[in-house]
Amino acid sequence: MVVGDVTTGTEVLVIGAGPGGYVAAIRAAQNGLDTTLVDRDAYGGTCLNYGCIPSKALISATDVAHDARNATEMGVHADPVIHTDEMQEWKEGVVDQLTGGVEKLCKANGVNLIEGEATFVDDSTARIAHGGEGQGSESIEFEHAIVATGSRPIQVPGFEFEHEPIWSSRDALDVEDPPQELLVVGAGYIGMELSTVFAKMGVDVTVVEMLDGILPGYEDDVARPVKERADDLGIEFNFGEAASDWEETGNGVVVTTEDEDGEEHTYDAEKVLVAVGRQPVSDSLDPEAAGVEVDDNGFIHTDDQARTNVDNVFAVGDVAGEPMLAHKASKEGIVAAEVIAGEPAALDQQAIPAAVFTDPEIATVGMTEDEAEEAGFTPKVGEFPFRASGRALTTGESDGFVRIVAEEKAGFVLGAQIVGPEASELIAECALAIEMGATLEDVASTVHTHPTLAEAVMEAAENADDQAIHTLNR
Amino acid sequence: MTVKEFKLPDVGEGVAEGELVSWQVSPGDTVSEGDIVAEVETDKALVEVPSRYDGTVKELFAEEGEIVPVGDVIISFEVGEVEEGDEEAEAPDTEAEPGESTDEAKTDTEEAAAAETPEGRVFAPPAARRLARELGVDIADVEGSGPGGRISEQDVRAYHESTEEHDETADETPVTPGEEEAETPPGAGASETVSASDSPEAMRETTLATPATRNLADELGVDLDAVPTEKTRDGEAFVEEEDVRAFAERKESEGAAEAAAGAEAGAASTTAEPEREETVPYRGVRRTIGEQMATSKYTAPHVTHHDTAEIDQLVETREELKGTAEEKGTRLTYMAFVLKAVVAGLKEYPILNSELDEEEGVIRLKNYYNIGIAVATDAGLMVPVVKHVDEKGLLELADEVQELAAKARDRSISREEMQGGTFTITNFGAFGGEYATPIINYPETAILGLGAVEQRPVVEEGEVVAAHTLPLSLAIDHRVIDGAEAAKFTNTVKEHLAEPTKLLL
Repeated sequence: MVVGDVTTGTEVLVIGAGPGGYVAAIRAAQNGLDTTLVDRDAYGGTCLNYGCIPSKALISATDVAHDARNATEMGVHADPVIHTDEMQEWKEGVVDQLTGGVEKLCKANGVNLIEGEATFVDDSTARIAHGGEGQGSESIEFEHAIVATGSRPIQVPGFEFEHEPIWSSRDALDVEDPPQELLVVGAGYIGMELSTVFAKMGVDVTVVEMLDGILPGYEDDVARPVKERADDLGIEFNFGEAASDWEETGNGVVVTTEDEDGEEHTYDAEKVLVAVGRQPVSDSLDPEAAGVEVDDNGFIHTDDQARTNVDNVFAVGDVAGEPMLAHKASKEGIVAAEVIAGEPAALDQQAIPAAVFTDPEIATVGMTEDEAEEAGFTPKVGEFPFRASGRALTTGESDGFVRIVAEEKAGFVLGAQIVGPEASELIAECALAIEMGATLEDVASTVHTHPTLAEAVMEAAENADDQAIHTLNR
Repeated sequence: MTVKEFKLPDVGEGVAEGELVSWQVSPGDTVSEGDIVAEVETDKALVEVPSRYDGTVKELFAEEGEIVPVGDVIISFEVGEVEEGDEEAEAPDTEAEPGESTDEAKTDTEEAAAAETPEGRVFAPPAARRLARELGVDIADVEGSGPGGRISEQDVRAYHESTEEHDETADETPVTPGEEEAETPPGAGASETVSASDSPEAMRETTLATPATRNLADELGVDLDAVPTEKTRDGEAFVEEEDVRAFAERKESEGAAEAAAGAEAGAASTTAEPEREETVPYRGVRRTIGEQMATSKYTAPHVTHHDTAEIDQLVETREELKGTAEEKGTRLTYMAFVLKAVVAGLKEYPILNSELDEEEGVIRLKNYYNIGIAVATDAGLMVPVVKHVDEKGLLELADEVQELAAKARDRSISREEMQGGTFTITNFGAFGGEYATPIINYPETAILGLGAVEQRPVVEEGEVVAAHTLPLSLAIDHRVIDGAEAAKFTNTVKEHLAEPTKLLL
């Protein structure tokens, strides 16, 4: 049946049902606004379907196998066998549960859900094209719109994802039959997370990276434990090389890279994973029709209320700029919804934490020592190595450290960098400290449970004031 | 000389505002650190506010009876040398014009601190940031009173209100609140009143105002949406205390004029009618009692069981023991005996010494006997708790009841002394009367009310005779227990009161 040109009205149209969009829609509905959420693909967006959740599921599963295999020191001898198809089935179950949950939450909060691709007609109308032949389209008149269209993986010229041996991260996460050899292009966080997953599955992984190290943007000593662990896993790195060409062979591909001197190198692989970053999805939306300005990189600029240059159009999440993080998207979504509802909301976070689920994990929030200095502070730094943590030693994971950066005078916490076990969890305390304007003394004087990894945060704060008990004060 | 402002400190857990009950000082008075300058009543207690400085009182910023939010400046002092690092020393000169105050009045300490904090970075928690947005305050302008200059919600509120004051006085000759009142009779030509008359009642749907202003409007019976104002916040009309007072005064004078006109028209007597109504503020301890009573009444289904104890023997026993007790310095009251009798009853029927924990879905039986004694005070009903009644003798109990009641009456009782009760006794008989319906001291399960000890007619062996009786009114939470248990408990109490020797067992 053809659904003709029906026009409906809504107070808030949210485009994109990822962690920015669905959260915005729920909050808008909670605030009594008639809200419509449209998505062309799947509830939960990239995060739930093709990103955070499936990757963390596979990371956890392969960690179990790897840890069991390497626990002989603890007296545990095991030889686990990975059934990738079953692993995928479990991962899909997790994803389905979460995406189903999002749909239920939206409905329970009274959000109208529509499947289809939204395109702006003007600043108060959007056209929704429904997927599938003969499904037609409809128009929605909105009072406010929230653009939450997210991002997609960047393609390297010549390495388009439609070619079967060339994988995007999404393809890699769905694999049921892992290749013998995998070439990963890019040593950023996605490249490093997935390299680790495949190496733990027993795949021979080679990484080529244009820059001269892994995880650009992180301090050397933060990235170092990850590189060392990757080396231990047998991952081979080739820095200063850019992938330039590939061709199929009988049982895989040969990839050619080029270094700074123009010298070519070749790599045999069964599959190639291209993980060189993500770009915003704004082109399909025709933002110009609504008068919304988009920069050369496809990002929509917003103010501290998530508002674009058009008063009634807001943008949140990856499409609204770096950092491309799900939790930042959700926060922006809430702010946009509250601003539309007339609340005095604003994006005034002092710091947004970020985590990389490599082995070991990395998590950071706020300023590094250098950044604090550049910002005009006199920084004071405390560190605690996990090798001095009782809990870390009992888990067999004692690489890495907690570093806490504060300003010298009152000791306000400005930032923290953690590399080591459960860094992604531990960073939350540091983020709270920054937001609350807590000082080193506040953190150090808070009694932490023993034996836990969290004690490392307390000890790092003590160390900054030369009061650490379990490590030498620097 | 330096002017120092003093903000109403946080006087207790969770207390956001207090009523300034009385000033103990006036402008020009010399004070020393520790001298009491004001009394403030919160919903928890009456608190004396000491001066933190040696100096002279310069100005009082709140009137007696006014509700003051914690963090508001209430008084300023002129003091000598400023001690380095004293936070309060950094308060801006209140006489300064807006704009000047933040720049010129900063002390060296403040500038030094500012120099080390790069521009744009403000240390304040999210709640304070949100409040600043709500009030339209740029948080970077607010001076933090926390360690290292951390900004609290109170700092934001205080800054907002101080700038509001500047904004208002900027267009007029500065007057202190006291002067304003003295020189501005109701409805008599003050510019604010005139402008209020020019624009009669506003009819808005939404009006923004601080909680203190809302309280004031309630007290004065003023509809905030009707108060004229040209001030706005976030695009909504914003009304302040001054607007409410001016509006109320205008309404009052209009009402008086109408009444006078009506009186003339009706050629009625010229004798002024007494006021038909007056309002008494519902706040402080009175409001707390009210809220607790409502919680109890509407949570626990009350059943009241009435009975009468015949206590001739008890009257005799007390008479006998009174002299001995007095020699030991104790005034032996019936309450001491009642306490013992009640504990005997509670031991036999522990269900009355309990509370219903709705969240956990359990009834908590208490194996200790802390009995609350309701005491009428000038401020309202207070319930000091006599702890471990079962472990104490009659004289000890009598002394303790006396002491706690005295403390409750002079408001020196501590919170701890009013907490931890398991059962309560209320002695309304002290004021006469027989039976009443006591409200359970929630979440306890029962309360025993005592009527007056008097001789009343009772029937003994078919004859009506006079006997000393004590009327008992036991209210129970019917969710926890039924009337049968209430009756049985009361019987045990009666038996022990009728035969005081049983109290020795």
